[in-house]
Amino acid sequence: MFVGARRLFAAVTFGLLSAQAVHAQGTTGRITGRVLETASQGPLANVSVTLVGNSLGTYTRPDGGYLLTAVPAGAYRLRVARIGYTAKEVPVTVVAGEASTVDVTLDALAAQLAGVVTVGYGTREARDRTGVVETITERTFNTGRVISPEQLIQAKVAGVQVVDNNEPGGGLSIRIRGGTSVNASNEPLFVVDGVPLQIGGGVSAGRNPLNFLNPADIESISVLKDASATAIYGSRGANGVVIVTTKRGTLGTQVTYGTSYSNSVVAKSLQMMDAAAYKAAVQKYAPTQASKLGAASTDWLDAIQRSAAGQEHNLAVSGGKDAMRYRLSLNYLGQDGVLQGTTARRIGSSFNYSDRLFNDQFEVKTSLKASRNDDWFTPGGVLGSATSMAPTQPLRNTDGTFFQWSDPLGANNPLSDLALVQDRGSTFRTIGNFEGKYTIPRVTGLSLTARVGYDFAQSSRTTFSPATAQQDVESTRGGRFDRNNPRQVNTVFETFANYARKLEGYNSDLDVTAGYTYENSQGDYPSFFAQKLSTSLLGLNGVPGAETQGNFLDVQESRLISGFARMNYTLNDKYLLTASIRRDGSSRFGPGQQWGVFPSLAGAWRIIDESFLKDKTPLSDLKLRYSWGVNGNQAFGNYLFVSSYSTSNQQALVQFGNQYINMIRPSAVDPSIKWEQTTSNNVGVDFGLFSDRVTGTVDYYTKDTKDLIFRVAVPAGTNLSNFVTTNIGSLQNKGVEVGVNARLFEARSEGAFAWDANLNFATNTNKVVKITGAGSDAIYVGGIAGGVGNNVQVLKPGYAVNTFLVYKHQIGADGKPVTGDKADKDMYVDQNGDGNINFDDRVPFKSPQPKMIIGHTSNMSWNKVDLSLTARAYLGNYVYNNVSSNLGNFQVLNGNAPANVYAGASEFGFTKPQYWSELYVEKASFLRIDNITLGYTLNKLRSLNTVRVFGTVQNAFTSTKYTGIDPMAGVNGIDNNIYPLSRIFTAGLNIGF
Amino acid sequence: MNPNARKFLLGGLLLVGVGACTDVTLEPKSAISSTNVFNEPAAYKQFLAKLYGGLVLTGQSGPFGNSDLTTNDEGFSQYMRLYWQMQELPTEEAAIAWGDGALQELNTQTWGATNPFLTSMYYRVFFQASMVNEFLRETSDAKLASRGVSGTLATEIKQYRAEARFLRALSYWHGIDLFGDIPLVKETDPIGKVAPQQAKRADIFAYVTSELLAIRNELPPAGGAQYGRADQGAVAMLLAKLYLNAQVYTGTARYSEARAEAERVIAGSYVLDPNFRRIFSADNHTSPELVFALPQDGKKSQNYGAMTTFVHASVGGDMSAAEYGINGGWWGLRLKPQVLSWFPGNGGPTTPDKRSEHFFFQNQSVAMNELTNFQQGIAAPKFSNKTSTGAAGSDGEFVDTDYPMFRLGDAYLIYAEAVVRGGGGTRVLALDYINRLRRRAYGNNSGDITDAQMTVDFMLDERGRELLWEGTRRQDLIRYGRFTTVGVWAWKGNVVAGRVTDAKYNLFPLPASELLANPNLKQNTGY
Repeated sequence: MFVGARRLFAAVTFGLLSAQAVHAQGTTGRITGRVLETASQGPLANVSVTLVGNSLGTYTRPDGGYLLTAVPAGAYRLRVARIGYTAKEVPVTVVAGEASTVDVTLDALAAQLAGVVTVGYGTREARDRTGVVETITERTFNTGRVISPEQLIQAKVAGVQVVDNNEPGGGLSIRIRGGTSVNASNEPLFVVDGVPLQIGGGVSAGRNPLNFLNPADIESISVLKDASATAIYGSRGANGVVIVTTKRGTLGTQVTYGTSYSNSVVAKSLQMMDAAAYKAAVQKYAPTQASKLGAASTDWLDAIQRSAAGQEHNLAVSGGKDAMRYRLSLNYLGQDGVLQGTTARRIGSSFNYSDRLFNDQFEVKTSLKASRNDDWFTPGGVLGSATSMAPTQPLRNTDGTFFQWSDPLGANNPLSDLALVQDRGSTFRTIGNFEGKYTIPRVTGLSLTARVGYDFAQSSRTTFSPATAQQDVESTRGGRFDRNNPRQVNTVFETFANYARKLEGYNSDLDVTAGYTYENSQGDYPSFFAQKLSTSLLGLNGVPGAETQGNFLDVQESRLISGFARMNYTLNDKYLLTASIRRDGSSRFGPGQQWGVFPSLAGAWRIIDESFLKDKTPLSDLKLRYSWGVNGNQAFGNYLFVSSYSTSNQQALVQFGNQYINMIRPSAVDPSIKWEQTTSNNVGVDFGLFSDRVTGTVDYYTKDTKDLIFRVAVPAGTNLSNFVTTNIGSLQNKGVEVGVNARLFEARSEGAFAWDANLNFATNTNKVVKITGAGSDAIYVGGIAGGVGNNVQVLKPGYAVNTFLVYKHQIGADGKPVTGDKADKDMYVDQNGDGNINFDDRVPFKSPQPKMIIGHTSNMSWNKVDLSLTARAYLGNYVYNNVSSNLGNFQVLNGNAPANVYAGASEFGFTKPQYWSELYVEKASFLRIDNITLGYTLNKLRSLNTVRVFGTVQNAFTSTKYTGIDPMAGVNGIDNNIYPLSRIFTAGLNIGF
Repeated sequence: MNPNARKFLLGGLLLVGVGACTDVTLEPKSAISSTNVFNEPAAYKQFLAKLYGGLVLTGQSGPFGNSDLTTNDEGFSQYMRLYWQMQELPTEEAAIAWGDGALQELNTQTWGATNPFLTSMYYRVFFQASMVNEFLRETSDAKLASRGVSGTLATEIKQYRAEARFLRALSYWHGIDLFGDIPLVKETDPIGKVAPQQAKRADIFAYVTSELLAIRNELPPAGGAQYGRADQGAVAMLLAKLYLNAQVYTGTARYSEARAEAERVIAGSYVLDPNFRRIFSADNHTSPELVFALPQDGKKSQNYGAMTTFVHASVGGDMSAAEYGINGGWWGLRLKPQVLSWFPGNGGPTTPDKRSEHFFFQNQSVAMNELTNFQQGIAAPKFSNKTSTGAAGSDGEFVDTDYPMFRLGDAYLIYAEAVVRGGGGTRVLALDYINRLRRRAYGNNSGDITDAQMTVDFMLDERGRELLWEGTRRQDLIRYGRFTTVGVWAWKGNVVAGRVTDAKYNLFPLPASELLANPNLKQNTGY
């Protein structure tokens, strides 16, 4: 392939150099003018000004002015578009040797709707879209302490669920219209400035791999939801696609600096018993344990939590001259977590450059980003230990040493672990993209684009536990050092041709794109461990010697090769048709299963433009859409189809006499495994009322996934293990999404009160349709803390994914569930009537998936003050309170190291663990004010263009009946000692020079 | 534009479109495949090690990771841990305090077909069978010839194949003992998703015994194998156990064959260990009594399987973990109250029978009103990670104590029982064997029994005393017809005092997941 690429570049370059000389003079004219915002009559910079059906185009300057030169004489339509505004088309006639002046005013779109949406391999105006794509721009991004780019769109888009793990910079899960898979990833595909990232965002040994992207560099985020939009990404589009576009330069030099300082506090702490309540519980439920009670009164959670500071600095320089544009930015971010030991740091830079060469026929574009992320973790177990440590034990003994239980079953002193154990990740990542777009002369509307991208990440994660750490003392391990150093290089080559022109005489517009992509990923995963260290003095920084050590290396490669094509056809400006197809070849599958075809078809009818409707009703927009398409999912491990022999490690040897032998074991595989396939349907309406003062969309969709990749039981004895990963079963998601944007108050004069609001609703019902062929009709999932290997969820046909599987309580005479110190058969319902309560009596009960998700954004402004608010609500979701089920019973008081009891334990009065009680499946509907921001802008302060000061509160308020610390509690609805939710107060300043 | 340049340009574009790379095949670089693995001659022995390792270890990475099976927990999936729990917890010998999964269902004979422990055991049996079958396929004469294997290696592989067949027979015995009618999958059956047919318990019994008889002479003589590997002693012992229970498995008693196979074991080079406690200690590999054991090493074979679990789980309450060579107790296993009455003086400190001298009474109640409270029920840490001379094992977490699967003492008991049940042999010899065991227990002949005392019922009690917690109780009770509809002990039937249970519990149910995976299977009666 690289031979081919070289040929292309040689050809393009050579072709362009020789094209210079042949430009005809004397038959061209110019177009000039200004673009203003309708409401404020202020200039609009960075507006795209293009000629329809022609490749000529430019962007406006900061004063709103633009100039198009060398326009061949003739009649044109001038298209003026900018994200966040309704695009306009204006007729213009160019006379040779003369300048035509066209001034245009653009209307701002309500709240967050963008006039232009970014789609795969191109952009499209919102009015022309046939698929379901929403683009969120900087104006409506979430603000405050935003470390990861996903947080920018939390609560902004209907049907897009962004679930935070509460750690600063911690892993986020995004679900677009629910998950389509069980075993493969449900995360969407991220495309950053044209470079598709590996599913999951790429490599990081620290936290969220997407943290390499500085949110302040992002101009817009486009969410592709239906198959018409995502099918162009073929085998990776089943869970939606998120296209991130970073900021580019504008004409005239601009320098901006932004800084913010924040303070995070724990929003809600776990409710464990205090010393007095604990003593009383011991007296009542385990009086023989009284001698093991200490005399102290300790709040262990308080001892490991803190209020955490953070700061951020962003400096950007951008500018341009003629057709050249550049933007350079630098970012520093440091944010501590509310648990001691947690820190996230980023130093990042970004450089974007573009220019047009050779009479504007060749456009070059490059985007480069490099960053280093340092993630320091609170050592594993600290939170759990602080939760279960008895409150009557002291932090330290009287001699100043940390208190520790002598029994290894007891929790370790979390302060000791904080002082001794270290866990740090570090990721260096750079991603870049070089693009050349050549507008073929003499063939109107034909252009050719070639793009080379790379994504390189070098990461490390080191954990160190000295010989003096309690876990090492107890296990006589003598200190342990672990280091993983994943390194991944991905390369992408793409080339595509675009042909767009108006078919005069047919009242039609045609826009065809076709291309080829090649992606290769190579990863090295070396790791190292050492145990029984000769010294613990060097900590994370060195291992001078060790009794036991191991070095390992794994190499993984994957490749994806595709051809794709898309056609947009518009008739009479009213009837829109989009068809796309992609053929993917993936190295993840064996011979015969490598290639797949992913088609889509969509149509739209702009009813508003029909004469019977136009200007006759309050309606300003009405469009009906339908789309159908097929996507794949191949987001799971490499080489699933290859049967391989694994060799045992040095701790898994078999003794023959005095020899110890390594074992080899063949793996059980299904050589004909293939990708999951999701077929989607979508019907939608776009509407506008009162000159688009109110706009909105309503969509209904279904997503049917077949050939789900499951690890299922195969008939025993027929393969080399009990489970084999294979394509079995199907899953369905369906739902309704409604998004409404309104300019509730319009500023009728400069500085008057204005209020834009967005409200979105989404429902998604998800269920396992069948698990066929082999295996089980019930796959147990949802591991919990407490006991070993316990599960509380199930995948079962007819039920939602991860439905809880629990015992139902008998109802007592008082109408309440029977609880307390009782035998199972006196407490639970014997579902099968066999006289026993056993696992067969567990029933599916509720699911973690919300029945409805509501998001709301308000942006208000009045004079120089602006106020915005983001809120979110989940209705009908359930969470299994694992802290309550694990520590909410009085058996934890037994043993040599009695543990603390969940404060809510007395409600049920269980004297032993009842992990499968339905009572732990709690209703977790909530309303949360995610973000409140108040800003004040001063224009023209001395030599500064703009100065804006702002204050933000994140996680300002949550209303819920859920008794744990956070009703979100992860995507799968099991709440076990999750990172405490923090409330973040941020104050910041943005300056433009 | 230069016309030639344009042609060149268009040609270039065309080339990109047509000549673009379309090969997506990538072979794994960091993996060993079936095509090259046997290029190293050591691989045969390493594969054989897996067949033994399947009984000891849980996966390819110790202490856990890269598990053999997909189960709810890797440690739980260890072969002998599962087997032991199923043979001991439903009986009067043991109870476990933990609330893991459906573990409590085993204590009380209330299990159902979705119980993950039963399911894992079923899969363990067939994992062993599948591994053996694959090994036999990879070591067929044709395969060996195609790889040019000859000479010493070929001779060694012949013995490996016999050992593999022994291990498959062992697992099928476990399978029919626990589950009754199960599929019989051999090396001649193809790999794939074709569901096998269910075979009758008696047919598998016949297959297993014929296999053992066929391989006997390809193995070293009794006591002649490397430690940890099977020889004719192990084969005879397995046959003895199969024949002893033949009435249960086939409806036809085979006590005469059981007696004859016990004689073969006794004729081997094994001797009763003068130190009874050594058989269960960290240095039990030095015990001359072991016929077949599964070696464990605290450093080199780390897992949360049988021995590590039993040593830890037997310790709790006021016991000192260090006294058992471990870093802490797990507060799990103790005796149901009925066991105490087997021993003179209820097994207390004054008992002359040293087989109960490891019982621990301090702050442990005899009565067991709560199954999940370790301090209810007398503790009985039979297995220890200290050597017979008092040294701690090599690791505090993972024990050095080997699993004593077959030992001479059991062969004595099988001989005696077969004799008293009319399987030939001599009562004099039988009485002598019993009294040898009792003299070791009492330290002198004060505990000897008379011929008149040597009844069929006595044998069950004596097996209880001698083989307490050695993973045979359920099988013995079923042979005596006292596991379900006859016999009452604490928590049987899930009541504190105990009650009789349905005869269906004589067999464990086939796993619910397996019934769906394999439509040819019929569930055991009553489930």
